[in-house]
Amino acid sequence: MTVSAPPSRLPLKAWWLAWLIKEIMPFAVGILIWQALSALDIWPSVLFPSPAQVFRAFVTDLESGILLSSLGVSLISLCWGFFVGAAIALPLGYLMGLHSVSRDFFDPLVNLLQAIPGLAWIPFAILWFGLGKGAVIFIIVMSVFFPILHNLLTGIRLIQPVLIEASQTLGAGRTAIIRHVIFPATLPNLMTGIRLGIAFGFRSLVGGEMIASTDGIGYQIFNAQQYFQSARIVVGMLSIGVVWLLLDRLLLRPIEQRTTMRWGLLREGIENT
Amino acid sequence: MNATAGLLSVHNICKSHFDPNTGGQAEALQAVSITVDHHEFVSVIGPSGCGKSTLLRIVAGLDQPNSGEISVAGQRVSRPGADRGMVFQEYALFPWKTTQANVEFGLMLKGIKKDQRAEIAQRFIELVGLKGSEQKYPHHLSGGMRQRAAVARAMANNPKILLMDEPFAAVDAMTRQRLQEELTAISASERTTVLFVTHAIEEAVFLSDRVVVLSGRPGRVIADMKIELDRPRRWDELAGEPRFNDYREQLTRLLYGANAPVEMPL
Repeated sequence: MTVSAPPSRLPLKAWWLAWLIKEIMPFAVGILIWQALSALDIWPSVLFPSPAQVFRAFVTDLESGILLSSLGVSLISLCWGFFVGAAIALPLGYLMGLHSVSRDFFDPLVNLLQAIPGLAWIPFAILWFGLGKGAVIFIIVMSVFFPILHNLLTGIRLIQPVLIEASQTLGAGRTAIIRHVIFPATLPNLMTGIRLGIAFGFRSLVGGEMIASTDGIGYQIFNAQQYFQSARIVVGMLSIGVVWLLLDRLLLRPIEQRTTMRWGLLREGIENT
Repeated sequence: MNATAGLLSVHNICKSHFDPNTGGQAEALQAVSITVDHHEFVSVIGPSGCGKSTLLRIVAGLDQPNSGEISVAGQRVSRPGADRGMVFQEYALFPWKTTQANVEFGLMLKGIKKDQRAEIAQRFIELVGLKGSEQKYPHHLSGGMRQRAAVARAMANNPKILLMDEPFAAVDAMTRQRLQEELTAISASERTTVLFVTHAIEEAVFLSDRVVVLSGRPGRVIADMKIELDRPRRWDELAGEPRFNDYREQLTRLLYGANAPVEMPL
């Protein structure tokens, strides 16, 4: 399949078809295998629900409104957790990357704390914030913070010194170097950090909601298990995956295509190099 | 102490740096003094490891000497500044900026208005033969084009002196000769003052009004030779020119002769 051909060389209809095959095919194959496995009838459906059962549960949860409302609750928590975590990680990262005294001070602390999983904060999150959104957001903050910080620091370490030197010989002072060299040069790693941050945030979100909340998609998954509604568990799990895919396609990738890929700092793969 | 005339004065520069092999200090430059006049093209040539790139970095303010001083137009300098533009061997273009934005970079830092910036950038982009590539990013340019863009970026900023650190070492031989011809033409027409570092004898003779020869480590000035060849210079004309070959032979003898260390590049 030559789906990577430039759109301009194909008629519009053929291009859409190619796109559809590229985007849908992996999922179609996955569902097909899933369906085949459940058709073999090896396991009871409570242990291994079929695609059809999951789809019915999906329609029910969609119609009752519970799916969208709990996804909404979860996404709002994720957004808050992400923005608070990033808002602390970014300034701290640039401070540590550019100021050696700060780096020497914070580095051991960060190193110690980053080994502690976000979910390990659940007990304190509940003690400090009570059951609910506050606790979940706190756990997400603790999960989002470290990958962003770590990748940002890596990005700063990877900056080619000659780029900073070139800017100095063109008249750049400290502020201009930070703004025009260090910030854009760290973008590829920062994007990796943001990606990982959101992914880690998602995991903690679901875990946190299962234990520390009474709402949201994680709580719904947990709740469904209590009533042996296996198909609803899968609906919850898949909807997290779908939300992530949408986030990736509609937000993260377009940002990367406009920045790091356009600059040649990041590629889709290595086949054309 | 600034009695010397000339635009750039390098006075008695000594530099040593940490040597990981011995754990002590290794002397890189020993009392190096060079003067470059207005509109003069001076090359510094020497075996690898003689400290010629270090010397250029000291002039640019990117390295600090242990002693000695650098003045530009009578002003002592020790930090990097826009008065000394630099072209690096590895191009050092900003990957996140188009050719045009790269060339405009110094002008933007000076606070020059957008229209005027574009106008100046356009002039230098055309001068180096990059018309049509204004909106391309560096990774879409060939090595030769990248170095053209880097030259345009340095020149558009209107430095008092242009420092070039083996700028054509990373491009193929044919592109190198073309770039050398273009550089002589541009530096003559713009009356640019250039301090050029290279280890290639022919390149130094071809480009320069004067060639300063450094010895092997630690670098000392062992010769300062005027190159009296007509300008503009072209390779097809100079190849059979007896004076060109004389200069080349003299420099070869200086570099590979009795003074030279055993280990030699090329």
